[in-house]
Amino acid sequence: MTPRQVLVWIFFWPVLLFVAAPRWVPFMARMVLDMLTKVTVWRVAFLNLLQHRRRLMVLGSSVAFVTIIMMTLLGIAEAMNRTLVESSTTLMSGHVNVSGFYKVTAGQAAPVVTRYKNVVDVIKKTVPEHTYIVQRGRGWAKIISDSGTNKMFGLTGIDVKSETGLASVLKIKEGKIEALEKPGTIMLFEDQARDLEVKVGDGLTIQAPTPRGVNNTLDVTVVAIAQNMGMMSQFSSFINEKSLRQLYQLNDDATGALQVYMPTTDLAVLRKTQDKLREALTAGGYLMMEEDPRAFFFKFENVTREAWTGQKLDITNWKDEVNFVAWTVDLMNFLSFFIAIVFMGVVGVGIMIVMWISIRERTREIGTLRAIGMQRPMVCATFLAEGSLLGLTSTVAGAVLAVGLAAIINGANITLPPGFQFILMSDHLNVFPTVLWTVVAVGFITSVITAISLIPSAIAAQLKPVTAMQHVG
Amino acid sequence: MPNNIVSIRDVVKEYRLDKVVVPALRGVSLEVERGEFISIAGPSGSGKTTMLNLIGCVDTATRGVVEVAGQNTGTLSERQLTQLRLDTLGFIFQSFNLVAVLTVYQNVELPLLLQNKLGGAERKKRVMELLAAVGIDTHAKHRPSELSGGQRQRVAIARALVTEPSIVLADEPTANLDSATGEAIIDLMKDLNQKKGTTFIFSTHDHRVMKHADSVVRLADGKIIGKESADAAVQHALQSAVDKAPAPAAS
Ligand SMILES: Nc1ncnc2c1ncn2[C@@H]1O[C@H](COP(=O)(O)OP(=O)(O)OP(=O)(O)O)[C@@H](O)[C@H]1O
Ligand SMILES: [Mg+2]
Repeated sequence: MTPRQVLVWIFFWPVLLFVAAPRWVPFMARMVLDMLTKVTVWRVAFLNLLQHRRRLMVLGSSVAFVTIIMMTLLGIAEAMNRTLVESSTTLMSGHVNVSGFYKVTAGQAAPVVTRYKNVVDVIKKTVPEHTYIVQRGRGWAKIISDSGTNKMFGLTGIDVKSETGLASVLKIKEGKIEALEKPGTIMLFEDQARDLEVKVGDGLTIQAPTPRGVNNTLDVTVVAIAQNMGMMSQFSSFINEKSLRQLYQLNDDATGALQVYMPTTDLAVLRKTQDKLREALTAGGYLMMEEDPRAFFFKFENVTREAWTGQKLDITNWKDEVNFVAWTVDLMNFLSFFIAIVFMGVVGVGIMIVMWISIRERTREIGTLRAIGMQRPMVCATFLAEGSLLGLTSTVAGAVLAVGLAAIINGANITLPPGFQFILMSDHLNVFPTVLWTVVAVGFITSVITAISLIPSAIAAQLKPVTAMQHVG
Repeated sequence: MPNNIVSIRDVVKEYRLDKVVVPALRGVSLEVERGEFISIAGPSGSGKTTMLNLIGCVDTATRGVVEVAGQNTGTLSERQLTQLRLDTLGFIFQSFNLVAVLTVYQNVELPLLLQNKLGGAERKKRVMELLAAVGIDTHAKHRPSELSGGQRQRVAIARALVTEPSIVLADEPTANLDSATGEAIIDLMKDLNQKKGTTFIFSTHDHRVMKHADSVVRLADGKIIGKESADAAVQHALQSAVDKAPAPAAS
């Protein structure tokens, strides 16, 4: 769910309404026109809201409350998303990746791109707008410690000197990341080190099948332990590039993935780049794998089941490589809307009842307006304007408070319990309200409240002018 | 343009309450000329309000024809009826019925905004003129709740007249006012009727109010029992009051 999709929906529901009840279309159209052109509609709506100040406070503060909840949750999701984009594009992926598998026999797959320099040439020609290209080794191996415990995870072979971005994303708790420069070195995340019961300076044995199907082993020393980065740190670690080649018995012309960095992280743009690359590489005589938006280590199973041998290339974007964690962001966004909708349901019923009471109270006034010549759509518009004014003012107030609350939460540096650290991919609670999400939340809640007040408004519009003649008492 | 601004022919109005049919008007015919200042009189339940509602296009006849400003109201849509009310009718209500949240000025301006014919400057001029004519221009910025009953009814009269309607309808416009204020209100209406030539049709119980009318239409039990001069009507009213009054107790 992107903000843009939600915005489209906000403006789309009236269209749905029109489709569902075509009989009401002329009425609605006149009503909207009245709302757009008649000052009286807004004057009467505004003054009536002000008239009932306590009512306004109660309803307004509950709407503001829902806005705060929704915006805070969306802000957490956005903070997660930012961490995800930033760390995924440094830890495990470029913006676009050209990777692949090499198979000597049908059943043996290695995550390898052979003669990668030729591929780099194609990339440079096809995507001249790229900012830079990094090559990284890839592996999936069993890591065995001296104490006898073992663990399977991904290995990323890096040339640490060329990895300028990495140091700023990783928080090293023990040892030094620069030490990965020496062959025979590995960096682990806290949890991995704990599971394997190792510290900096301890040795590990890595076992993996080479592309030829022979099991090979390699001894390495732990030179650094980095702070966990939520789920992302569960699946891989960093190893000296040369050592990884040695493990897989690859020559210097082979790598795991070419990570292409672009001026943007926008997936719509990146997908076009992917398509261009796919076309160019196909034209260059490379065999391409089918599109599969998953991290490479999920693809072994399929690849080894297929009959082909030799080299195939795979093109992914950063989102594909972190899909296995990205769902948490989607879930969080979904949760924000879900919770907001549930709360809105409750608040909405309250608003309906209050508007209903207000219409009962104002029956004679409405009858009078009808008698002196106000058309039905305009009566409806007046009440709808009241609903949307209430919605807009209280969501805007809520949004302002939510931004303040976000600043307070971020400033308080709240440490998360481990479970939340895992999901939120951060050790602290961060809330990042963006302008776009703020607009979306305000628009969403206002439009829901407007939609809700449409029902009592329509009822008000049906009142007969003859009710004006009824006397008080 | 037809000479008669209102023309009612053989009108029957029945209210349906569950299965019971309540006849409110049983075959009524009436012609009202342009510029008339007429009163509808009759005992409670005789059908005065019902008749005004039919002329005012806020209700429709069960049978018969109601023509207002040459238009047969039975053939018009809800939307057209509303437009007719806006353009050719003005309403004065027993309980004043001003919009509580709007100022005196805004209340009077409202029908003009609905019509959307006059520009801002003209509108302001028209509203202020009328407020002056009803003697309430000093209270233009007040809310209705800050005014007395008589003042509120003056505002209501200004609102009814601001669009320069052909007909102004008033259902017991003085019933919520003390008699002196009530007479002043009727005087004001009569004055505007003479100056602007607007047709006024109002209902009343009160013979002191009745006597200002050009003529009085007498209703009883859903039928018109006569249209007569105000003086005759007042005589009638007084007579029936005497008839109905309990015999003075001998002491
Ligand atoms: N909405 C209604 N439903 C049912 N019957 C009604 C309704 N309005 C009026 N009536 C009946 O129609 C008849 C005429 O009523 P109407 O209100 O026109 O009388 P009226 O002359 O205005 O009386 P009053 O002087 O008390 O105002 C009465 O018998 C009344 O009970
Ligand atoms: Mg009546």
